[in-house]
Amino acid sequence: MDAFALKKAKVPTRLACAERMKEYGDIDSDFVVFDNDIGYSTYSYLFGDRFPARYFNLGIAEVGTMATAAGMSAEGRVSVVCGYGVFLTMRAIEAVRSFVCYPNLNVKIMSSHGGVTAAIDGVTHQATEDISAMITLPNMKVLVPSDPVSAARCFETAVKTPGPVFVRLMRDPLFDLYSDSDQFPLGGSKQIRSGDDVTIVTYGDIVFQTIEAAEILARQGVESEVIDAYSLKPYDKEAILKSVSKTGCLVVAENHQARNGFAYELSNLLLKETPVPFENLGFQDTFAESGDYPSLLKKYGLSAEHIAKAALDVVGRRR
Amino acid sequence: MSGKTAIKHNMTLDERVTYLKEKAREARLHVLDMVYTAQSGHIGGSFSVAEIMAALYFDILRIDPKRPEWPERDRFILSKGHVCPILYACLGMRGYFPIETLKTLRQFGSILQGHPVIKTPGVDMSTGSLGMGFGIAAGMALNAKLLGARHTVYALLGDGECNEGMVWEVCQTAAKYKLNNLVAIVDRNGMQNDGFSDEIMPIDPLDKRFEAFNWRVITVDGHNLHEVIPAIEDARDCQDGPCCVLALTTKGKGVSFMENTQHWHGKAPTKDQYEQAIEELSRS
Repeated sequence: MDAFALKKAKVPTRLACAERMKEYGDIDSDFVVFDNDIGYSTYSYLFGDRFPARYFNLGIAEVGTMATAAGMSAEGRVSVVCGYGVFLTMRAIEAVRSFVCYPNLNVKIMSSHGGVTAAIDGVTHQATEDISAMITLPNMKVLVPSDPVSAARCFETAVKTPGPVFVRLMRDPLFDLYSDSDQFPLGGSKQIRSGDDVTIVTYGDIVFQTIEAAEILARQGVESEVIDAYSLKPYDKEAILKSVSKTGCLVVAENHQARNGFAYELSNLLLKETPVPFENLGFQDTFAESGDYPSLLKKYGLSAEHIAKAALDVVGRRR
Repeated sequence: MSGKTAIKHNMTLDERVTYLKEKAREARLHVLDMVYTAQSGHIGGSFSVAEIMAALYFDILRIDPKRPEWPERDRFILSKGHVCPILYACLGMRGYFPIETLKTLRQFGSILQGHPVIKTPGVDMSTGSLGMGFGIAAGMALNAKLLGARHTVYALLGDGECNEGMVWEVCQTAAKYKLNNLVAIVDRNGMQNDGFSDEIMPIDPLDKRFEAFNWRVITVDGHNLHEVIPAIEDARDCQDGPCCVLALTTKGKGVSFMENTQHWHGKAPTKDQYEQAIEELSRS
């Protein structure tokens, strides 16, 4: 699969998710939606326009909103909270931890601007520690769709899964990858390319850099197996171990801090199950900056070329 | 209407006051026992709300200990969750669990955790991180509005808790949605963990603050049940929007050496102190 052969997506994952949320409002008349004065950015206003009585815009007040959503869900209702990742997972994290996760309530967090996909907005609006925070919380489930189809499906998976679920979304449209018939159950993964030489696990926007990296590698005679781990918690342990047992090496690339992200989760798995040459790509103990998305990926080591280089490195280290 | 309150419906206010005074005294004794046994827990703030809690749990709240999940019950959220000994005492006295359970407060395996958790029978939602319970209560009130349900959601806050920014976020929400089914009761005992609230973080005029957020405020002597009962009922019946009962209280109320001192915010009594406190409470 050639990244350049992929069709440019018409909408970003945040919009695809919001559109599905609006449609789903007719199917499920119970759930409610909260936003924090960024409804036109998360597109939650689409739901609000259609279901005004079930839509609560509580202003710029993430902590109060998360607690209010928890109260709503303590009554048995599904609450969806829309916002920017950095605010929902950092400013409101204590409410998420103690009053959503601890009582295991049906609060679904639709978190836009994940990683540096909010590239031009600068560091205050880039969520580069969100995955680390969310996968650490007991009871929390974490999904990261990469394209509009998976975003719509992940919304449904989140609403149908009991307990708290975090869905990481992106600001800008990238590519279309999946077809309408693809399903995205909790705990699953998608193998989007098969190969014997190296396993590359990724999620979200970096899926597309990885597809391109696989092309670069193929031209050098290295066949990579690319896994889209859209479900980060729980993750598809079986698929990843099966692939690694075949290739004998693993690269994890994520739009996140290199420390304590999904790569750390998998490195832990490998240490316990099958230590193999391993490399992970992410922000190396640094913040990013404003700029265009491709330039940021290049500067901070998340471009296709970086992923290909890391893959060659682990292949070289494999005995 | 099936048995919702502990009192009889034909009681006069004087009779209710007499009855609830005794319940408040009993609850204080339980709190003292629990914290002495655990050698840990918050007495001062439990004692300052004893009359308020007695009025709620033995009179005003429409609840049924036999059906803790009864959907039409009133909700009570102890936003100042650290004073859960008084909540547990009331729940035990109402029969949500055997009264002997009170002695297991804070111990390994107990259903009575150091701060309230939703799993405990009668506890409507976990609390303990100040400010959060108030937001939770607002969410419950919003849900009731959405359902067209007629129950009331009560949240009990501390005055120190009002330092938290999120308290005012929640005030905004309650005013925006005209949550006339939400009653906030603020325990204005004038003290917080480190000392007098006027010194740690001045919050007066607290009544004006709530009013500025478009809340109605009723100020009462929080230990005078002749004032507390009608005030909470008035707040409950208020139709216009959210209402706050600002209860002026004394931290540690009921035991002379515990009154109005921060030392009894979160300290357990020694044997001598315990015995003296029992003695004072028994003759009050």
